[in-house]
Amino acid sequence: MSKLDLHDIQGNILKAYGRYFYPKARYACFGVTEADGARRFVQGLVTLVTTAAPWAAKGAERHAKPESTVNVAFSYHGLREIGVPRDSLQSFPDEFAMGMKARMDILGDDGPSAPARWDPVWREREVHILVWINGNSVAAIEQKYAEVAGIARGCPGVELLRGHRGAGGRDDQDWQDASAIYADGQPTAREHFGYTDGISNPFFRGMPASESNVMGGGKVTGLPAQTGAGWEPLETGEFLLGYKDEAQEYPEAPSPTLLARNGTFMVYRKLHQNVGAFDGYLERAGSTFPGGKEALAAKFAGRWRNGAPLTTFPTQAEADTFAASWERAKGALAQAKTDRERAEAKARLADIGVKLTAFDYRGDIDGGRCPVGAHVRRANPRGALEFAQRGAFDSPGALSNRRRILRRGLPYGDSRERTDDGDHGIVFLAMNASIRRQFEFVQQQWMNYGNDFGLANDKDPLVGNHGAVGGDGGLPGGRMTIQTGASDPNPPYFCAGIPRFVETRGGDYFFLPSLTALRMIGDGSIDPT
Amino acid sequence: MPNERGDAYALTALCPIRDDARAETSFATQIRERLKSIELDARSPMAKVPNTYLCRLFVLDEVPYQDSPAAYERLENKYLVFVCELHGALDPYLTGMWERAGAMIRRVWEHCVGFEEVSDAPSFVRYMKRCQVTTTYYFNGSTDEPLAEQLKALYLKQEFAKFVAAHQGAAPEEIRRAFGEFVGRVQPSSVAGPTWRPGASELDGAVVDASGSST
Repeated sequence: MSKLDLHDIQGNILKAYGRYFYPKARYACFGVTEADGARRFVQGLVTLVTTAAPWAAKGAERHAKPESTVNVAFSYHGLREIGVPRDSLQSFPDEFAMGMKARMDILGDDGPSAPARWDPVWREREVHILVWINGNSVAAIEQKYAEVAGIARGCPGVELLRGHRGAGGRDDQDWQDASAIYADGQPTAREHFGYTDGISNPFFRGMPASESNVMGGGKVTGLPAQTGAGWEPLETGEFLLGYKDEAQEYPEAPSPTLLARNGTFMVYRKLHQNVGAFDGYLERAGSTFPGGKEALAAKFAGRWRNGAPLTTFPTQAEADTFAASWERAKGALAQAKTDRERAEAKARLADIGVKLTAFDYRGDIDGGRCPVGAHVRRANPRGALEFAQRGAFDSPGALSNRRRILRRGLPYGDSRERTDDGDHGIVFLAMNASIRRQFEFVQQQWMNYGNDFGLANDKDPLVGNHGAVGGDGGLPGGRMTIQTGASDPNPPYFCAGIPRFVETRGGDYFFLPSLTALRMIGDGSIDPT
Repeated sequence: MPNERGDAYALTALCPIRDDARAETSFATQIRERLKSIELDARSPMAKVPNTYLCRLFVLDEVPYQDSPAAYERLENKYLVFVCELHGALDPYLTGMWERAGAMIRRVWEHCVGFEEVSDAPSFVRYMKRCQVTTTYYFNGSTDEPLAEQLKALYLKQEFAKFVAAHQGAAPEEIRRAFGEFVGRVQPSSVAGPTWRPGASELDGAVVDASGSST
């Protein structure tokens, strides 16, 4: 296929900014009451938006990596208020038009996750435009936000919507700030439960190789997963509108074509993490679980907290050895002095790093290493559903290639007190061509249900919307079976009474247009006829 | 095999609804009203019919036209459609259906062509077989055991999962003692009960004890 026009695609779709050492982010919600002013706002934002174009090496004069990035997305109501023609509006997918709140039954946003419990800005207001800034420092974000706010001030009918929860029980924050969790003054890739996050993301056709790794990021070919032949890129149309998808057709997209092409849909979810309940459960169940609480934490996720995949590194000792070699390789790269040393160190780091993603479960179908219901195995089965059913499918990824999502986003808040109270969790961003087919399916069928895995109505241990036995107020009712391999003399271990560790605190569905489409929205020149 | 998969049987019956030119309300509408009044789940009269896995009743007005070059076909009648997945052979099932749900059958089928000839179980069996169309592509989503066996198995599975969660890690003697109590309570070899109520769609009130009353 021809190359993607990276200058026309918003940067965050291709680039997981966290990998580029932007540990800080700010998400600002705007409401629109006057279409003219809103269009002028968009015209101004276009000049700031970060594209997917590659950044030059350090010190280059042009295309240098910026101190901060800016990206822009619209809710359905936002597109309506800004004056997108009705014929175009009606060509958007239903779930996008309905918005996340109205999809609560599909998403399992009930009980403590119900919209009535969300942050005021998501509960009471209609968010029209989402602007988010990632930066290498708070100062860089402040500076860029001042530019955005300056543009907004000159545009009548564009209002910053307040009402994000923050520290100390406040629920009137101007925006949602997010930050990597720091250790020893350095940003880490950990989230509040202590897991290394953001390791595996899809790799699709046209994506520059630097953005993700086809080994583990692409789709399985059926050949050994530890080799390059085991993987090939997913079709572009799974993640960008206007390109062929895994069904060999164009994804459902709004008209005109120019409004859709190079754009995608994005899910914003503010997910609170009950770290006190999580730590407490690990302590209690970990005291009887063979291997203890770290092993139990690994069984929940399918990865050790240092990121090593369980199916490749089944024991803590193996995982620790792997993590140490990973750290050494990173250190060697930092210490490299000559170009040759740097190239060698980079190659060594890549060789080690690929072990984080280049695996599948064909040697672990019974879940003896990575439980069948572990989080990463549910979210991305890597052919596990097909390998167990030899001959039943035309392609080894038939059941999962159309359910992949690009995960972006960062942790927010401070969880050092390790209680459920307070405001800490993850701003989860998911990008995909079809919210219904990709994100919603994974959420409904794979996170909050277990039938596809032969796990009855068990949910994902970490993010499932575990209910209470006998209804509200009852004891926690989540369950998980931790299988043991066929040759293992030990019985399986059954986790019961798992409480809900993750609760939804707000969010919505957004359209993330191309630069061309942003200009059209700003100009008011969309013509669907 | 059409209609069958092991000991599971799929019945599809299309019963023509009488021409209604002179009626004030069409017979199809009357049948729809009567169908709406049938209770669902455990209170459905069909829940009392032995070995009913699942069944559905609806009125078929017309077949959809699927664009050229498909033939444009019209039905000559409206039909009352009865689809049912059941355990065992068709004749004894339909006999049991007449015996346990006869009042509902007489009310719902009253305006179907030829139903005036139905007066007892044998004539009902004959009538339904005349209306039967072959069920092709039959896939049974559960096992083909008798319904009572399946309900007991589901009950046991649910109770055993609770038992495991409650006793995991206990001393072997304690597990053995508790398991004895457990077996005494759930009576694995007694299909009659305790078990789940046929037609129950949620756990609340689903369990019936050996005497048949809710626990």
